Amino acid sequence: MRAPLRIAYVLDPRFPGGTSSAVAAELKVAVRFGRVTVHAVESRMFRGRTVAPVLDDAFDDLGIEPVWDAPVISADIVLLHNPAFLKFQTTLPARIVCRHIYVIAHENFKRPGGEEGFDVATTLAQIDRSTLALEKVIAPISRVNRDTVDNWIARRSGFETWSVLPDDWFNICSFSLNPPTAAPADRRGRYSRPGFEKFPPLDAMEQMFSPQAERNLILGSDSLIARGVVRPHWTLMPYRGIELERFYEMVDFLVYYTSPAWREGFGRVLAECMAAGLVVITDPGTASSFGRGAIGVRPEEVDAVVARHVERRELYLRQVQAGQEALASFSAERFARRFDEICARAQRKIAS
Amino acid sequence: MILIEAGDAGQRGFEAKLLFAAQLAARGHDAVIDERTLPPDFDRGSRYEAAPYLRDLSGAPMHQLVIVGAEAMADTVLGRLRQTGLVPDASVWLIGRFESRQALISAQSKVAYVIGREPQVIDLAVLQPNDLPGANGPVVAVGRPQDGDGAGGTESLVVFLGTETLEDPTVEPTLMALEHLPDLRLTVVVPGRARDHLKALRFGSLRVVGLSDLTPAAFAQLARFAVIYGAEPTGSRIAAMAADVIVSGGIVIDCTKDATLAGSSAPVLRGPQHLAALANYVRHTVVPNRVEILRQTARSPWTEARRVEVLEQLMGLEAPETTRPARAGRILFLPTNGSGLGHARRSTLIAREMQPGAHETVFAAFPSCMPMIRAAGHDCLPLVSKSRVHGADHANDLVNYMRLRRALKEGDRLVFDGGYVFDSIHRTILEKRLEATWIRRGLWQAGQITPAALHREGTFAQVIVPEEAFSELNTDLSFGRHVRKVGPIVGERTGRDAAATRSILRERLGREFGELVVTMLGGGVAADRTAQMQLLSALLERRKDCLHLILIWPGSTVPPALYGWKNTLVCQTRNAPDYAAAADLVVTAAGYNSFHEVLYHGLPAIFVPQMAGFMDDQDRRARAASDRGLAVTVAPEDLLLLEREATAFLDGGKGTELRGALAATNLPGPGNKAAAALLAAEDWR
Repeated sequence: MRAPLRIAYVLDPRFPGGTSSAVAAELKVAVRFGRVTVHAVESRMFRGRTVAPVLDDAFDDLGIEPVWDAPVISADIVLLHNPAFLKFQTTLPARIVCRHIYVIAHENFKRPGGEEGFDVATTLAQIDRSTLALEKVIAPISRVNRDTVDNWIARRSGFETWSVLPDDWFNICSFSLNPPTAAPADRRGRYSRPGFEKFPPLDAMEQMFSPQAERNLILGSDSLIARGVVRPHWTLMPYRGIELERFYEMVDFLVYYTSPAWREGFGRVLAECMAAGLVVITDPGTASSFGRGAIGVRPEEVDAVVARHVERRELYLRQVQAGQEALASFSAERFARRFDEICARAQRKIAS
Repeated sequence: MILIEAGDAGQRGFEAKLLFAAQLAARGHDAVIDERTLPPDFDRGSRYEAAPYLRDLSGAPMHQLVIVGAEAMADTVLGRLRQTGLVPDASVWLIGRFESRQALISAQSKVAYVIGREPQVIDLAVLQPNDLPGANGPVVAVGRPQDGDGAGGTESLVVFLGTETLEDPTVEPTLMALEHLPDLRLTVVVPGRARDHLKALRFGSLRVVGLSDLTPAAFAQLARFAVIYGAEPTGSRIAAMAADVIVSGGIVIDCTKDATLAGSSAPVLRGPQHLAALANYVRHTVVPNRVEILRQTARSPWTEARRVEVLEQLMGLEAPETTRPARAGRILFLPTNGSGLGHARRSTLIAREMQPGAHETVFAAFPSCMPMIRAAGHDCLPLVSKSRVHGADHANDLVNYMRLRRALKEGDRLVFDGGYVFDSIHRTILEKRLEATWIRRGLWQAGQITPAALHREGTFAQVIVPEEAFSELNTDLSFGRHVRKVGPIVGERTGRDAAATRSILRERLGREFGELVVTMLGGGVAADRTAQMQLLSALLERRKDCLHLILIWPGSTVPPALYGWKNTLVCQTRNAPDYAAAADLVVTAAGYNSFHEVLYHGLPAIFVPQMAGFMDDQDRRARAASDRGLAVTVAPEDLLLLEREATAFLDGGKGTELRGALAATNLPGPGNKAAAALLAAEDWR
C-alpha cells in the first residue's frame, strides 16, 4: 500500500481578509487527499498581527497544529498561498523540498493601470531560491487574476522554469443559499475592509449611491467618517459596525466597486452576497469572474440597473438565481475534483 | 498651479513641501500648498516662509500634483488626496527615497487607489544617492548669485551655530573678535532662544538671525561660505541651504564634531571644530584654494544632481516665461506710524527733495499715513496695522510681508523710517536682496531703543540719522561708516505770509478776529488731550476777538464737545504749518516734525509733550527749547500753568519775545537735501 500523499500548506495565517477564509475552506477538502501539514511563516507583512480567526477555527476543527517557521519543509505537494506576504522581505526563511509546488496567486500581479500590484519578481525569486522541486506552478484564482499573471510572466525573463496552471484555483464558495426578497426595493449597500483600495473616488460613489435610493448603507466606511464626508442619503458605518446577517436584511442590492487602480483577485464578498440572495452589481472586470452571476456596469449606469430590477420583480429574482447558480462552479465538490486530479498527477509522477 | 503635498502629515512633511515649493517658485512655477495642512504649532518664522505658498484650495481644480517624501504615505494624507479635485488629465508625481522596489510600489499603489489613476515616480535613492543627513524630501536648488563675492576684499560668511556650540564660553568672545575682521562679513545663525540672547550683546555689523528667520535660499544668498558648527543644525533646512550654496557656487564648510555633512558624498569641506580657528582657516586655507575648490565642486555629480532643473525635466515642467513687462527700479519709502504721522511726514519731506532718477519713488504705509502721502503726490501701498481682533499678534505683519514681497524685486531699494524693524521688512530686504536704508532719528525715550531693537541694523546698507536741532538731544545709538548724520528734516511753508492766511480765514469763516491761536495736540491717538483742549477753548471763549483753531489731520477725531464753543473751530487740514505760522500762539505737542517747524519757522509756542511709551522723548526735546528761552513747556497735567502761559502769550507779549529769540538763534541747516542726496547715491555702502 502506497504511503499517503504529503501535502504541505505554506502561508502566513495572519492575513485578515478573504484569503484566510478561502484557505480555511480549502483545508477541509485537502485533508481528504493526504496528510496535511500547515507551515506558518511569520512574515514582515503581518508583523504584530494574530492568526485569522477563521483559520484558527479550521485548524481546531481539523486537528492541525501549524508549524511556525520550520527551517525545512518537505512534502509531495506544497501549496504556498498568497505569495505577496513575502513582499516586504528578501528571503523566505525555509528550505522547501517537494515534487510540486503550487503558488496560489490571490493578489493580482498587476493593477488595472498596468503597474505591478506588488514586487512579484522579488517574491517569486525568494520562493525559487528556497525551493527544490520537480515542478513550480503559479495558480491564478480567477480569470481576472490569471490575466495579470499571464501579462506579468510574459514580460519577465528569469522565470521560465515556472508554469501557469491552466485551470483557476478558485475560492471555495460553499455558502448556504438564502432566497431573494419577495419585494425588492431600491436598498443598496456595500461592505469591505476600510482600505483605500476598496473604495472608488467620491464622485463615483455619489453616482452609485445616489439620492434616488431608499437606502445607501456603506459598511466599512471608516476613512470617509474620519474625513468628515457627509451625504444626507448615505448611512456610513465602520468596518464590522453591524453583523453581516443584518446587512443582508437591510439591502437588496450589493453595489461593489473598488478604486479603479485596484481590483479584487477573486471577489469573495460578491459571492457571499449572491449566496445571501442579493443582486450584485460591480464593474465589468470584477463581474467577469462570476459569469452572469454579477451585473457588470459603469457607476453611472447603476441607477438605471437598480430601477429596472425594482420595477420588474421577475428580473430581480432571475438575477439572484443566476448569481446562486454561478456559485455552483465554486463548490467544494468541484474543488475536490480538481484537487484530486492534482494529487493523482503527483502520484503518477511518484509511480513513474 | 502645482500642488505640493508630502507623505508625512506632520511638521516634518510640511517643511519638506515648503522647501520644495520654494525651489519651484524660484524657477517661476506657481507652486502652492493647501493652507489646511499648515501645522498649528508651526513656529512664527516658518509661517512667514510658508505664507507665499498657502492657498485655499477648497473646490479648486488641480492640474499638477507633486508628492514629496512619498516613501512614507500617511493615511491622513491619503484621505486628503482622495478629496483633492484633480482634473482628469492631471499630472501626478511621487518623489521619494524608496528603500526597496516594494516600498516604491506600495507608495505608488496607495496614491493610485485614492486618486484613481497611476502616479509617476521619481526614486531619489537612484537620482540622489548618499544624500546629506537630515534631508527630508528632494534636496534641490536653484543656482543664485551670492552676496559678498570677495569684491572689495570682503568675504561673506554665514555661520550656523547649535545650542551646544553656544554653551562653549569661548564662542561669544570669538564672535566679537570675528566681527572686527575687516575682510570677513559675518552672519551668525542660531536657534531662536540663542538669538534673543546674542542680539542683546550689542554686536555692530554682525548679523544675528534665527534659523527660521530666513529661508534656506536667503541664507544661501548671503553665504559665500556657509560654515556649519554644532550637532544640532542637521535638519532638512540645513541640507537645503547647503545644497543651495553649493549649486550657487559657494563653499560649505563642515565644522561639526561628527563631520555629519563632510561624511556624505557632498562636496563639502571639513573645517576646524573650534570657532577661534575659523578665520585663519578661511583666509589661509580656503580662500587661496578657492578656484580649485569651486572647480571640483562644480564638476561633482552630487552638485549636478541637486539642480532643480533635473527634476523639472523628469517631470516635464517647463519654467514659465514671465509675461510681466520689466519695470524700472523702485525706491520704496516705508515709514511706520507712531502716535502721529512723524515718520511719514519726514519721509515725504525727503522724497520731495529727490530728483527723478533711475528709481521710481513709491511708498508703503499704514492707513493713517496714506492720505498725507498721497496728498504729497506719491503712490502708496497700504499696509495693515496691528489689531486686537487678529488671531495672532504678527498676523498683520504676515500680510505686510506678502505685500512687500509682491511690490519689490531684486535691485529695488527700501528706505525704512521707524524704530523697530519688523520681520516683514527684515525678510523682504534679505530675500529680495534689496539695498536698504534706515532713517532713524537720534532721540528716543530711555530704554526705548535697546541693543535688541538695533540687532537688525546690519541688514541695512546705511543708517541716516536726521539730527535734532540741539546737540544734547542727539544720541549715537550705533557707530560706523554706514551711519550718516544729516541736519533736522524740516517742512517748508508754502510761502504765504501771515496776513494773507488770516484774510483767507476771515473770508472762508465769515468772521472777524484779531488774535489767532492754533492748537495741534493730535487726534487723541497717543493720549487723551481733551482736558487741555477744553481748557484752552474755555479760556479763549472769553476773548471776544479771538479765533481758536484746533487743527487735526483729515480723518482724525476730537471729542464732540469741542464743537460747542463759539470761538473754537475744529479744522481738518493738511496745511497746518501755514495756519500755525499766522498764529499769535501755537499750542502743540513736541514731536520731531512739529517741534522743528516751530523752531525753524519762528513760531511762538507752548509745547505740551506727549509721553506715550512708543514715542520719542518729547519732554526732553521741549525743555531743550524752553531752557533756551525759545518756547514754553507745560506738562500735560499742569492745566493751571497752561492757562497762565497762554494768557501771558496773548496779553503779556510773550509771543513777541519768543519770536525775537528764535530769530536770533543759530540753528543747524535743514538736512532734507542731504538725506535725499544720500538716497540718490548709486552706492549706498
